[in-house]
Amino acid sequence: MDSAPAERAPAPAAARDGLLPLKILVSGGFGVGKTTLVRSLSEVAPLSTEEGMTSLSDGVDDTRVVPGKSTTTVAMDFGRITVDDRIVLYLFGTPGQSRFWFMWDELARGAVGAVILVDLRRIGDCFAAIDYFENRGLPFVVAVNDFPGTAGVDDDTVRDALALPADAPLTRVDARDGGSCTAALVTLVEYALARSG
Amino acid sequence: MPNYALTAGRTRSARMDLPIEALVTVTELGLAQRPGLSPEQRTILDAAAEPLSLAEIGSLLGVPIGVARVLVGDLAADDYLAVHLPLVGTDGRPRRELLERLLDGLRAR
Repeated sequence: MDSAPAERAPAPAAARDGLLPLKILVSGGFGVGKTTLVRSLSEVAPLSTEEGMTSLSDGVDDTRVVPGKSTTTVAMDFGRITVDDRIVLYLFGTPGQSRFWFMWDELARGAVGAVILVDLRRIGDCFAAIDYFENRGLPFVVAVNDFPGTAGVDDDTVRDALALPADAPLTRVDARDGGSCTAALVTLVEYALARSG
Repeated sequence: MPNYALTAGRTRSARMDLPIEALVTVTELGLAQRPGLSPEQRTILDAAAEPLSLAEIGSLLGVPIGVARVLVGDLAADDYLAVHLPLVGTDGRPRRELLERLLDGLRAR
């Protein structure tokens, strides 16, 4: 070989023909850090959109247990990661309560899987999300958001409390830290790949 | 303007039912026809100079996803927008090679 391969000229039009969107859902209980995680990962300021469910949640969410949070996120937060020249990954923060399952079905269709955020101080809040993804056979990773005072709980205890299947991945994140959130996404995609056979 | 006026009262595009992550880009035809379109349609075509999802268009216009879906579906049916759909296998899941590319991309971050 006496010459290096010629550098390819930029071909935006051709590249666009192969554009491929992907999505990962971010779920979990109310106030668990879904918006924060999406914000940490997104390359654009996180946006929000509506699925027309505002009236359903008025006055229903219990905002007393989450200091500093006065209203629930009825709009759906989402973020964007440009993965390479063809793939764009979207993250959708989905309301975790089971009364929103009507919108999860549409969101879950074709999804890579889900990151289910858990606050160990209110561990039961994620049960609905785990049930949902488990029942539909969608890959999910349980990500314990490291809130103050929760570091001492070991993984086995968490697995027991959540009745997690043995092969379901469990990880720890700081939702404010993009690196740890990216690692949770990597864990999810590895798991999805392992299950795709 | 109320949302139902943007879509002439329709909640579905007769011609397309796009997923929320579907990407669109403006076409040559869309650029050529832009002057005769409504303000909302022009906003969509201008923003779609770069790849943009249905979700982002809803957010940009301040309308629910269902309204954005109708507006985008109509523009796509007229070939003013090119649509880039998710690539899924027969099981409805993203194809394996796509997951591998995603993993490579995330690990490189």
